[in-house]
Amino acid sequence: MKMPMVLPLLTSSALCVGAAQAREALQYTLDPTHSWVHFEVLHFNTSTIRGRIGPVNGSVLLDPVAGTGDVRLAVPTATVSTGIGVFDARLRQDDLLASTAFPEAYFIATRFTFNEGRVATLRGEFTWRGVSQPLQLTALRYACHPDDSADDGKGAPAEVCGGDFEGEVLRSEHGASFGLPLIGNRVRLLVQVEGRRPIAMPKVKTP
Amino acid sequence: MTKFLLALTAAASLAAFGPAQAQTATYTVDPTHTFVTWEALHFGTSTSRGRFDKKEGRIEIDRSAKTGMVDITIDMASITTGVAPFDTHLKSKDFFDVTTHPTARFQASGFSFDGTRVSAVKGTLTMLGKTQPVELKASRFNCYENPFFKREVCGGDFETTVQRSLFGSTYGLPGIPDNVRLLVQIEAIKQ
Repeated sequence: MKMPMVLPLLTSSALCVGAAQAREALQYTLDPTHSWVHFEVLHFNTSTIRGRIGPVNGSVLLDPVAGTGDVRLAVPTATVSTGIGVFDARLRQDDLLASTAFPEAYFIATRFTFNEGRVATLRGEFTWRGVSQPLQLTALRYACHPDDSADDGKGAPAEVCGGDFEGEVLRSEHGASFGLPLIGNRVRLLVQVEGRRPIAMPKVKTP
Repeated sequence: MTKFLLALTAAASLAAFGPAQAQTATYTVDPTHTFVTWEALHFGTSTSRGRFDKKEGRIEIDRSAKTGMVDITIDMASITTGVAPFDTHLKSKDFFDVTTHPTARFQASGFSFDGTRVSAVKGTLTMLGKTQPVELKASRFNCYENPFFKREVCGGDFETTVQRSLFGSTYGLPGIPDNVRLLVQIEAIKQ
């Protein structure tokens, strides 16, 4: 009869110790099949050019309880894909993506807002073509769900969190002004991102 | 690209000897600024996107009579998401079955105008051997004189949402959602 009491007690005392120490942020590993940057640029004020860059690499630390986080993303610009090979090659050149001199663009965000435990905004610096500018990404949606699909190869239970984020970059502010104003200056970024982390499940003894 | 430019030059020289202008103008789709991008929600969490890269088509617009016609064919095997195994799965019998149904076709003649701008196009989409009504709504539309082609180009952004189950595509429902949003960029060069 005493056993069922002991376990909750142990658990809660462990939690108390945890709270007294610095709480560790949750660390997510990005899922390369669901972590992409899509961009949109207006062409001759008529139609929207779209392209894809990725997958995005990086590290994600979130602490929804404290309302803090640390996200560091690297975007490999040479992977740009618009569906037109010659256009992709043109985009990689020095006056646009400058993929040879600056193979990666970076987004480092340390200022977060959360809404009921869900990431709402990330603010930080976007470094592209060696030029850093402030950038805010705003969540269009954000959700977490348990995932036991064993993508990690161990079959361990995991949590997947992710969403769609939107931001805007003025390319002239990064020195990429080729084709202005016929090709728009505003670059809308649509970032799909999903990350997973293993969940330590309490072992339940069967009598 | 070279082939495309040659075709343009040929079309240009033909047009010079063409008949006196009727009200209806014919436009050939510019494949470098015409794409179908689709969006589908992944486990209620994030949006997966993909694109069809090969397409061809013809558009007729009579802006004074406010009528028009569209006929566009999409090469379904040209689907790309950036994730090769995902592309392979999408081309398989589970989804687009591109061996049996290599193309999809959008045909429409129900044009709505807002002034001289096309605001919506009603027609049918034939995919997986099934034909369903589809209405594309314009989020923008414009015509301009293109300095490279030295011709009028008309185009815009259109969108619609299709229910894939209506085309018999039911794999993975409901985890992989039924509703797929289509974002269509289109530009076409006056002939």
